[in-house]
Amino acid sequence: MSGYYRTRYGEDSALLDTRAQKAWLAVLVVILAVYPFAANVLWLDIANQVLLASIGAIALMLLTGYAGQISLGHAGLLAAGAFTTGILFKELDAPFWATLPASAAVGAALGLVFGLPSLRLRGLYLAVSTLALHFIVIFAGGEYETRRGYSTGIVIDSPLADPRAWYFVLLAASAATLLFALNLLRARTGRAWRAIHARETVAEALGISVQRAKLSAFVISSTLTAVAGCLFAYYRGFVSAEAFSLYLTIQYVAMIIIGGMGSLLGAVLGTVFVVLFPYAIDAAMAGLGLTERLSSVVFALNYAAFGLAMIAFLVFEPQGLVGLWRRARDWVLLWPFKQKPLAR
Amino acid sequence: MQLAVNILVLASLYALICCGYVLIYRVSRVLSLAHGELMMLGAYGLYATASLFSGQPLLGLAAAGVLALAVGLAVYGALMWRMTGESVLAAVLATIALGILLRGAMILAFGTQTQYPLRELGWSNASIPVGAARISAVGVALVLATTLVYGGLFAFLHGTRWGVRMRAAGQHPLLAAQRGIALHGIYALAWGLATFTGGMAGMLIAADAGLESTMVIIGLKAFPAALVGGLDSLAGALLGSLVVAAAEVSLIQYVDPLLSDVVPFVVLLGMLVVRPWGLLGTREELDRV
Amino acid sequence: MSAPLLKVEKLEVVYHRVITAVQGVSLEVPKGSIVALLGTNGAGKTTTLRAISGFIGLDDARVTEGRVVYRGEAIENRPPHRITALGIALVPERSKVFENLTVAENLDAVVPRRGARFDKGIVYHLFPALAALRRREAGYLSGGERQMLAISSALACAPELLLLDELSQGLAPLLVEDLMQRLRAIRQDTATTVLLVEQNAQVALEVADYAYIMENGRIVLDGTPARLRAHPDIREFYLGTGAGARRRSYRDVKQYRRSRRWYG
Repeated sequence: MSGYYRTRYGEDSALLDTRAQKAWLAVLVVILAVYPFAANVLWLDIANQVLLASIGAIALMLLTGYAGQISLGHAGLLAAGAFTTGILFKELDAPFWATLPASAAVGAALGLVFGLPSLRLRGLYLAVSTLALHFIVIFAGGEYETRRGYSTGIVIDSPLADPRAWYFVLLAASAATLLFALNLLRARTGRAWRAIHARETVAEALGISVQRAKLSAFVISSTLTAVAGCLFAYYRGFVSAEAFSLYLTIQYVAMIIIGGMGSLLGAVLGTVFVVLFPYAIDAAMAGLGLTERLSSVVFALNYAAFGLAMIAFLVFEPQGLVGLWRRARDWVLLWPFKQKPLAR
Repeated sequence: MQLAVNILVLASLYALICCGYVLIYRVSRVLSLAHGELMMLGAYGLYATASLFSGQPLLGLAAAGVLALAVGLAVYGALMWRMTGESVLAAVLATIALGILLRGAMILAFGTQTQYPLRELGWSNASIPVGAARISAVGVALVLATTLVYGGLFAFLHGTRWGVRMRAAGQHPLLAAQRGIALHGIYALAWGLATFTGGMAGMLIAADAGLESTMVIIGLKAFPAALVGGLDSLAGALLGSLVVAAAEVSLIQYVDPLLSDVVPFVVLLGMLVVRPWGLLGTREELDRV
Repeated sequence: MSAPLLKVEKLEVVYHRVITAVQGVSLEVPKGSIVALLGTNGAGKTTTLRAISGFIGLDDARVTEGRVVYRGEAIENRPPHRITALGIALVPERSKVFENLTVAENLDAVVPRRGARFDKGIVYHLFPALAALRRREAGYLSGGERQMLAISSALACAPELLLLDELSQGLAPLLVEDLMQRLRAIRQDTATTVLLVEQNAQVALEVADYAYIMENGRIVLDGTPARLRAHPDIREFYLGTGAGARRRSYRDVKQYRRSRRWYG
C-alpha cells in the first residue's frame, strides 16, 4: 500500500523496521515510564493487574492462538506456580530468587503432563483433558491447605510493598515475556507451531516433529504461566485454592478471544479489556445511580455482564479487538480508493 | 447394601444429567458446558411455579417442566443457532459464556439464599427402608425419573419418525438437509429436551438438598460420566454414570470423603488416556473437531 | 414447445472469490427426460450440480454470473432447504446414506416435499433387493445396495427433478448397467426428470435422451447419444473406440472449438 518493500530476510523478520514504528515505540516507552508518577493509587493497581495478567495471557495465546492447542487448564497452571511459591515459603522459608525458578520448573513439568494428552487428542477432547487436569491440580492445592490447616489460604511475605516498585518489576516481566514471545514466534519453534495449527499432517510431511512442537508449546506456555502465578502470589501476598477457579481460566480464554486469536497485540488488548471490565461496570452502575441498590450483588452483575460481553464477541466479532482494529485501519488506509478485493 | 443404594441413586442422577450432554452432542457436535446452570435454572423454575401454584403441587411440577422445555428452545433460538457453522470450540465457548451469564442473572433475580422448593410444594423427603439400607423419597423419584426418561428417549429415537430424523441429522447434517429435514428444528428440539431433563435433575437435587449454587458443580461432575460412556451414546451415558458413581461412592466410603469432587475427573483422565471415544462411543467421533 | 423443467444459462461459479470452476455453462433439461452431464475429473460437473441444488456455499463458492431457472423461477444462490422444498433432490457422491440407520429408517427419515406423498412400496418395487434388507444397517450394505438405497432415499422426497452425482463410482460394471436401466423405470413409474452426472460416458449414453460434455469448466459439445457416439472425438476420448493406431493429441481437436457456437 505504501510502496515499502522488504528485500532482505533481515528486514522481514525485524521487529521494528520503519522510522515511524521506532518513533511510536519511543513515545510508548516515555508514557510507560511516566505513568506510575502520574496515576493515582487505583489506576496504578489496575496497571499492575494488567501487566501481571498479560504474562498469562501471552502464554495462553502462544499455546492456543498460535500452536492451536486448546487448553482449559490455565488456572490450574497459575495455581501450580502460586502454590509452589506458597509451599516453599511456608515450609522452607525460601526467598523469591529460589521460589521463582522453582515455580518455573514446576510449571515446565506440569506443562509436560498437560501436554501429553495433546499427542493423542485434539480439539474438544484435548480441552476436556486439560479441564480434568485443572481440577486435579486445584484439588491438590486444596488438600495441602486443609492438611496444613491454612483453611483460608496461605499468607506470604511480599519482598516488595510499594506499588510503584511493583509497577516497574511487572513492566519488566511483561516486556520480557512479550519480547520472548515475539522472538520465539520469529524462530523455528514459532513457525513449527503455526504449521501444526494450520495442517498437522502437512507439517509432519514437511519434517516438523509434531510431537515436539506440541509439547514445546505446552511446556513453554506453562512455564510462563507458572512464573505469572508466582508473581501473583507475591503481589497479592496470599494464595488460596478458591482464587483459581474455572472462572479464572475462562477469563484468560476470554482475553485471547476478545483480544483476537493469533496475535500478541490481541493478547495485550484482551487483557486490558478483561481487567478493566469490572471497573467499567462499577463506573456504569455509579453513573446510573444503582450503586446502593445493587451493592450486595455486584459480583453477580459482573458475571452476567461478562458472559454477555463474551457472547457478543463470539457472535459478532470472532476476530476480536484486533479484528476491529484491523478493519478500522484498513478502512482508513483504503478510504479514497475503496478497492474491492480480487475477482469480484 | 447401603453402598449399592447410594451408587444407584448417584448413578441415576448423573445419568439424568448426562442425557442432556449426550443429546446435544450427538445432534450438533457441541459440548454444552452451560448444562449445570440450566439445571439450576430449572430448579428455580420449580421454586417459582411451586410458589405460584401453592396447594397444587402437581400443577406446579408440570408447569416447571414445560418452562424448562421452553427455556431450552429459547436458548437455541436466541443464541446457539448463530453458532451453527462456526468452529466447535467457538460454540463450546459460547455455552460457557451463556453459563456465566445465567449464573449472574440467577443471583440477580433470586438472590444467594438457599431455597427449598420441596417445602413450597408441600411435600417432605421421607426416608424409606430397602432391606437393610435406607433410601430417600427423592432418591426413589430420581431412579424412577431416570428410568422413564431413558426409556422414553430410546422409544422416541428408535420408534418414531422424528426420532429417526434426529439420529440422521446427528450423523450427516448435510445429507439430512438434502432430504428435507429441518436442522434448526431438530437442534432446537435437542436443546429443549436436554434442558427439560437437566431441569428435572436440578429440581430433584433441590428437593433433596436445597437449591444453591453448588448444584452447578454437580452438573460439571456429571459430564465425565458422559465422556466415559461415549459422548454420542445414551446407553454409554448410563454405563458411564454407573462407573463414575461407583468409583466416587466407593472412594468416599473407603478412602477419603474429600475426594468426591475430583474422582470423576480422574476417571475421565484415565479414560481419555486409554480409550478416548468412551466405552460405547463411535470411534470416528474423535477426529471431528 | 413447452419450457424445460430446468434451464441453466451461462452459469459461472467461483470458489474462494478467486478460482473460477465453471464458466459459461448452459444446459436444458426437458420435463420427463434423462439428461447426462459427462466429463472427466475436475471438469466442473459436481460444481454445476451443487449450483443447481443449492449446496454451494459450503466450500465458499458462489454463482457469480448466469442463472439457474427451475419451472420458470430463478433459484441460484437460494438457501438449499428452499430448493429441496421446490422438488429437487440430490444423490451426492459421498455421504449418501445414514450408516447407523437401517434401510427402512433411512427411508422414514426423509421428509417428502410438501403436498406430495411417498409410498415406500414404489422403492421396494423398483429395487426388490432392498425389500429383503429392510432391517439391515446401511453401513453394512454393499456398494451397489448402498447406491440403490441412496437413490431410493432421494426418491422418497417425491421430487420432480432428481440429480445424480457419479452414480457409477466404485461399482461393478454389471451393477452399473443394471442401475442405469432402473433409471428408465424410475422415469416411467414416478414421472421424475433426471439429470445425471457421470464419468462413465459409455453407460450414461445408453440411458440418456440428451447429453452434454464438459471440460475445464465449460461445455464443449452436446447432442443426442446417437450423434455423440458417432462423433470421432467423443469416440476417441470418452468411449475408447477411436479408429487408427496413431495416438492423437488434444491439439488436433478442432471440432470442439467449432461446436461451441452459441455458448458464451
